[in-house]
Amino acid sequence: MQIIINGILQGILIGAVGVAFALVYRTTKVFHVALGGLYSLSPYIFTMLLTFQFPIWLSLVVSMLIISFLGFALEFTIHRPLFKKDAPPEVNLIASLGAYIVIVQLIEIFWGNESQIVQQQVSQVWRLGNVSVAQLQLLGPLCVILAIGVIHFWLKHSNKGIELRALSDNSTLLALLGRNINSLRGTAFCISAGLISIVSIGVAWDLGFSPHAGLDIILLGMVATIIGGKGFIWAPMAGGLLLGLLRAEVVWFGSARWEEAATFILLVLFLFLRPQGIFASKTRLESL
Amino acid sequence: MNYLMHLMVYFEIFAIVALSLNLMLGYGGLLQIAHAGYYGIGAYSATLLWVHFGFGFIPGLILAGVCAGFLSLLVSLPARRFKGDYFVMVSIAVQALIYAVLYNWTSVTNGPFGISGIPKPEVLGVEFSSTGAVTLLYGFIALIFIGVISLLKTSPFGRALQAIRDDELAAKSVGIPVNKLKMQVFAIASALVGCAGGLYAAYVSYIDPTSFNLNESILMLSMVVIGGVGNIRGPLLGAFILITLPEALRFVALPDAIAANIRLLIYGVLLIILMLVRPQGLAGNYRYQ
Repeated sequence: MQIIINGILQGILIGAVGVAFALVYRTTKVFHVALGGLYSLSPYIFTMLLTFQFPIWLSLVVSMLIISFLGFALEFTIHRPLFKKDAPPEVNLIASLGAYIVIVQLIEIFWGNESQIVQQQVSQVWRLGNVSVAQLQLLGPLCVILAIGVIHFWLKHSNKGIELRALSDNSTLLALLGRNINSLRGTAFCISAGLISIVSIGVAWDLGFSPHAGLDIILLGMVATIIGGKGFIWAPMAGGLLLGLLRAEVVWFGSARWEEAATFILLVLFLFLRPQGIFASKTRLESL
Repeated sequence: MNYLMHLMVYFEIFAIVALSLNLMLGYGGLLQIAHAGYYGIGAYSATLLWVHFGFGFIPGLILAGVCAGFLSLLVSLPARRFKGDYFVMVSIAVQALIYAVLYNWTSVTNGPFGISGIPKPEVLGVEFSSTGAVTLLYGFIALIFIGVISLLKTSPFGRALQAIRDDELAAKSVGIPVNKLKMQVFAIASALVGCAGGLYAAYVSYIDPTSFNLNESILMLSMVVIGGVGNIRGPLLGAFILITLPEALRFVALPDAIAANIRLLIYGVLLIILMLVRPQGLAGNYRYQ
């Protein structure tokens, strides 16, 4: 039971990274590796604001805004020119990889490459029968669920949100209908970056942070997106939960060293047996 | 002088690596991120053959290449089905798997502690122990590989490969066996990079899994992307730049603590700028379409 709870908590975080990744990937077809860089960067900005005596909620909001702006900046400076040139996905991927390297190296230059923690005190533990959960462990997933709820509502009911979903279905048609594709792409990058900052700060609050955490977690997010299938919210979340549970089981019954291997074996299995993911809409396989 | 020789050895090893990756990316049009994994497979299998089974330098190297080539099925089988992003994901997965195996299969690879005491290269009874001698030997081997690759490029095999890269459907329609050729090019490229891994192991005489992780794959990819793909001189230029740039930076007065960061920072910026301005790389003649 304890394993399952841990798996679910981890799965929610992975799923949220998956949602952030899917928001960009499903709409713009950009393999947004640089999101990992933003993930690494968020807690540094957050703690910097804390040292300036900002209250916690304000630091959270301000760092979210800063990271969202950076996400937008990435789109504006790198992916928009590439989009205008009609560059293939591989070129976007390599450029994004470059951006990731730049962000991580800048973090190391300014803040050093040691792992850091946000706060020292030991958190209270809640017990429920034979399951125990630390308060801090819950805080991250709760914030994340809240954020995802907001995004879900926004996607379903606001004009921009509906346009964003249309963008993922057929971008050319949307452009023909006179919508501003560029601003929509910017919005997608922006929201995805904002979400990733919340996830990242939530994790950092519990476990601490280091400059290199980003790439691993973003790979997990990608895997969650791909095994989840089509969709922005439910699919990556389901993929994330599946991954979280699997990883918790592997750690419990095997060893933490096989965690990554198990993740990618699951991915390969999915790609071979069900490449359309858990939630598949009826489309042709080639159009995936 | 010894220092220059040392750089030269690295350049020769990475020239082979870059050229083999170029074979996939430049001629096959397949972007894969598992190259360091195959480099590692080559290094480890060569080491095991030399240390535990007492193979000679050349037979061990060749068998290591065969091993890596055979294991390339891990990526080439998925490559039959996936293209673009999904294939990149599969290759990242393969990279992660290979790294996990190297790291965790302690009874064979000695896990995170690595294997030390790898014998120096010895050919026909002559031991190449000084750096200068190794430079000559590796230079000779690299030249052979460069020759093989340039022959491949103009051979019917190479031309068919380029046809697949440019238009897979058209290639299929004129009767080129697409899947078979893809598997072959994967096998050849992996075998080459496996040999390079063996050369690396013999030169540094100590290997551990961290030399073969995802970051290393990304470094190899940036080598080829910066230099350019689709010909011989592009990857060579890329390998040259990425080997010499950190050394050149040593002579600029940078604080030691951030020198490595500055180096990687430059790689990153180069990658972005090249993708925006010159996606075919500095000296390449193929751009992804």
